Amino acid sequence: MFFPGSLATTLKIECIVEQTYGPWWQSLHRTMLRGILGKTFRLVGYTIQYACIAHCAFEYVGGVVMCSGPSMEPTIQNSDIVCAENLSRHFYGIQRGDIVIAKSPSDPKSNICKRVIGLEGDKILTSRPSDFFKSHNYVPTGHVWLEGDNLQNSTDSRYYGPVPYGLIRGRIFFKVSQVILKSSKANQTRPR
Amino acid sequence: MTAGMAQSQGWVTRYFKAFCKGFFVAVPVAVTFLDRVACVARVEGASMQPSLNPGGSQSSDVVLLNHWKVRNFEVQRGDIVSLVSPKNPEQKIIKRVIALEGDIVKTIGHKNRYVKVPRGHIWVEGDHHGHSFDSNSFGPVSLGLLHAHATHILWPPERWQKLESVLPPERLPVQSEKESLHGSP
Repeated sequence: MFFPGSLATTLKIECIVEQTYGPWWQSLHRTMLRGILGKTFRLVGYTIQYACIAHCAFEYVGGVVMCSGPSMEPTIQNSDIVCAENLSRHFYGIQRGDIVIAKSPSDPKSNICKRVIGLEGDKILTSRPSDFFKSHNYVPTGHVWLEGDNLQNSTDSRYYGPVPYGLIRGRIFFKVSQVILKSSKANQTRPR
Repeated sequence: MTAGMAQSQGWVTRYFKAFCKGFFVAVPVAVTFLDRVACVARVEGASMQPSLNPGGSQSSDVVLLNHWKVRNFEVQRGDIVSLVSPKNPEQKIIKRVIALEGDIVKTIGHKNRYVKVPRGHIWVEGDHHGHSFDSNSFGPVSLGLLHAHATHILWPPERWQKLESVLPPERLPVQSEKESLHGSP
């Protein structure tokens, strides 16, 4: 019941104002409206443009990622910031020993960060250290075998099997936090 | 430098600047659209006959691939989807979704008679059984490999149609955990 009343009052006031000021009010109204509409369209256009550039950069070049979890200690600690590049994935240049970011096989919306232990065709030791009989398996075509550096605390290919190459998103080549840690230690005075 | 030359040089610089501006706006927007919203693709092979490519190699169907529908990895049983091949990451394959996670399927030609689809995976099959390289060969595929949902056939014009999400009754899962949404847009 509030809105119809206030709308009627607003229209009434506008009619009175128009009668009093006439064409001056109408032209001001029109330019204000056009100005606001123009600004809105320009803002929307810039947002779309920058979003598309960001998408292309993250998809085809690389980006900065924060890793969480203890499965890659001591190489990558919990909440470390790393730089990942996506060019190796597109040119199929991922090699044994690379640390990669991949989509989790059991949850496509989350990412995992592991080391590539074997490429397709490699022979991998799949048995646990506690097993008496060692079992080997070959990594199938189009797949890779991922393992975390912290073997005691990592769910990786030993748990869910070889990971298809198509799930790999990028390769980590630089860790930012380590640099910050090193430079802060250099500034501290050493005890004699 | 005469006045004429200065004028033509100014024209070249202005044209170059306009070209760069257009290039850096148009290319990212187009690439993002083709990656995230929709694109078109030609279907090759006979694994989805008679739904796709009934004429064989004489006339390949061109389908509309909708990325926006699968942005949250939501698919229904019976959808025709394109995904990255688990055996060859350079190739995309187009198949029908037969079962979702938690379902138990009766396989055709797989090493196990019954397979339970693990979490985060789907079971895909081509309509032309026996001539299809699908989950019966490589097992359940991870949802992360999902590329797009094929919604319409665009070419040839006489085959212009909307692709229906229909599951053949003989391929219904033996037991399903998740209920399909019926009549979803």
